[in-house]
Amino acid sequence: MENLLALLGGFSVAVTPFHIGLMIVGVLLGILVGVLPGLGAPNGVSLLLPLTFSMDPVAAIILLTSMYWGALFGGSTTSILFNIPGEPSSVATTFDGYPLAQQGRATEALSLAFLSAGFGALVGVIVITLLSGFVQKFALKFSSPEYFAVYFLAFASFVGLGGAPILKTIVSIGIGFALAAVGMDSVSGSLRLTFEIDQLIAGVSFLVVVIGLFGIGELILTIEEGLQLKGIHAKVRPRDVWRTLLSMPRHWATLLRSALVGVWMGITPGGPTAASFMSYGLAKRFSKYRDNFGKGEPDGIIAPETADHSAGTAAMLPMLALGIPGSATAAVMLGGLMIWGLNPGPMLFVERPDFVWGLIASMYLGNVLAVVLVLATVPLFASILRIPFAIIGPAIVVICFIGAYTVGSRPFDLWLALGFGFLGYVFKKLDYPIAPLVLAMVIGDKAEDAFRQSLIMSKGSMAIFWSNALVATLMGLGIVLLLWPIITTLFGKVRSSA
Amino acid sequence: MISRASAEVVFAGFTAAFGAMIAWGATEFGVGWSPSGPQPGTFPFYIGGLVALASLANLGLALRKVSAGDQPFITAEQVRAVLRFVLPMIGFVVLSLWLGLYVATAIYMFGVMRFQGRYPLWHSGLVAIGLPVALFLLLEKGFRVSLLKGPLEAALGY
Repeated sequence: MENLLALLGGFSVAVTPFHIGLMIVGVLLGILVGVLPGLGAPNGVSLLLPLTFSMDPVAAIILLTSMYWGALFGGSTTSILFNIPGEPSSVATTFDGYPLAQQGRATEALSLAFLSAGFGALVGVIVITLLSGFVQKFALKFSSPEYFAVYFLAFASFVGLGGAPILKTIVSIGIGFALAAVGMDSVSGSLRLTFEIDQLIAGVSFLVVVIGLFGIGELILTIEEGLQLKGIHAKVRPRDVWRTLLSMPRHWATLLRSALVGVWMGITPGGPTAASFMSYGLAKRFSKYRDNFGKGEPDGIIAPETADHSAGTAAMLPMLALGIPGSATAAVMLGGLMIWGLNPGPMLFVERPDFVWGLIASMYLGNVLAVVLVLATVPLFASILRIPFAIIGPAIVVICFIGAYTVGSRPFDLWLALGFGFLGYVFKKLDYPIAPLVLAMVIGDKAEDAFRQSLIMSKGSMAIFWSNALVATLMGLGIVLLLWPIITTLFGKVRSSA
Repeated sequence: MISRASAEVVFAGFTAAFGAMIAWGATEFGVGWSPSGPQPGTFPFYIGGLVALASLANLGLALRKVSAGDQPFITAEQVRAVLRFVLPMIGFVVLSLWLGLYVATAIYMFGVMRFQGRYPLWHSGLVAIGLPVALFLLLEKGFRVSLLKGPLEAALGY
């Protein structure tokens, strides 16, 4: 009840003509970056973030989150029409979306994707609405060791559930932490790891790193793979949309299961990509039409899309309540929150309820708007992809570097973006996951501070991380997740030998 | 052609060196315990060490594969495609630092469209001038964000 009242308050903050205008702009920009190769949600939000430095935080977060929703939709559009996932999290949508579109049922495929995405997002927001009060009360019990344990849990779940090779995930996280440590040390005030290079004194901005890793790296990869756009022409007919909408209740089991998978993966930072794959796998396993998967089965579109969007929205909950982002994009937004002078974590609910509940209310509205807008503009955005790459490619390069420069007006950042572009390319080629690096960069300082303060509290004894039930549970859970791949292999061996 | 296994080896060596460099750089600030808690270098020291160790393990795994398989990392044709894209991009960065982002954008767009996309002169020229002007209006006028400028903007009084 308390939450519902707070939500009503949030609506009164969010529903102004200015904010709704921002939502529309954000969603459209988001669809654009989602559709364009090389630009995706994390990168798009990084590019837009410097432009919000002078905005009111509520307006800024509405703009950025709306862009996120738009990018998620844009990513599925290209998956279905071009067989090119605009976002890593919409890879699973290509499996059945593209075949269905090829059969001349593009409208059905798109509507299925957008409607189930909208459903997933709504479930995500409802869960956030219901849980945030609870999580906040829970989080107020936290002190430094508990915070460190939660950070540990977040990284452990990347290692255990992320699906990438474990050692490579560890390298990725470590590089992120190391980069976060460059520059001024927030506890002692001394300059660290600058290696006598003046440009490193200000530290390495995670925004520049994201633009390099996701934007430029992705572009190089696209070029190397030889971009082949064989698009299917899409005309969205309202009648087909309506018919698809009426058919949705038949898929209730898949919708519900996928939404739950997504919410779980969004809150524990497994992220939307892992969620969509997991949900696709589960849908296939439970389906009566298992053989039709990969050939245009509706459940094969509904499952990854629902999970993708419910994970994307649910990732906002740990970001707001604990200061731990559940996805790379949420990590970028978390960095934005800190730049706007907000302090993510449980106190945010007490200090700035207008911000938190305004954001949550805007998520309801933004997602409904996004479904409508994306259905209305699909043909337009699909035609953008038909612009030859010799024009669109360099234009994206220009936008990425301008974005990198606007972060801190430092010429050196152009070189950094370029360097991280090459790094991102190699990361992708060799299956090193990028999201953990970004997450580690954004919360690296906070994790380190929590670690150091815990040790100060305990005078150097590691036992503090096991000193009460709460922190011990969190650490124990983290260790289980960390060892999860080993546990499952052992179980598999036991089972196969039995 | 570069084989994937050898690329793995080189990159694992690179990340190992990075980890070692971080750990070594951290020792300068003390990696032990001081009366005011852990010294500033402690956390980076162990992180660097972890990266180095994990990288060495990656290196070991990759070395075992070098003799076994020769899956390609990149083919000669792909190298050419990547260079065609990357070299102009590096040129763009160098030009930006020298002439400012707007002028560099114009030259870069024109160059790529005219000489790689084989677009007609007027077509390439239109985009090459239109894009920086649009960006200028959007950023400098709309958002009041100032980009890196060069001699041309200085001559025009910005």
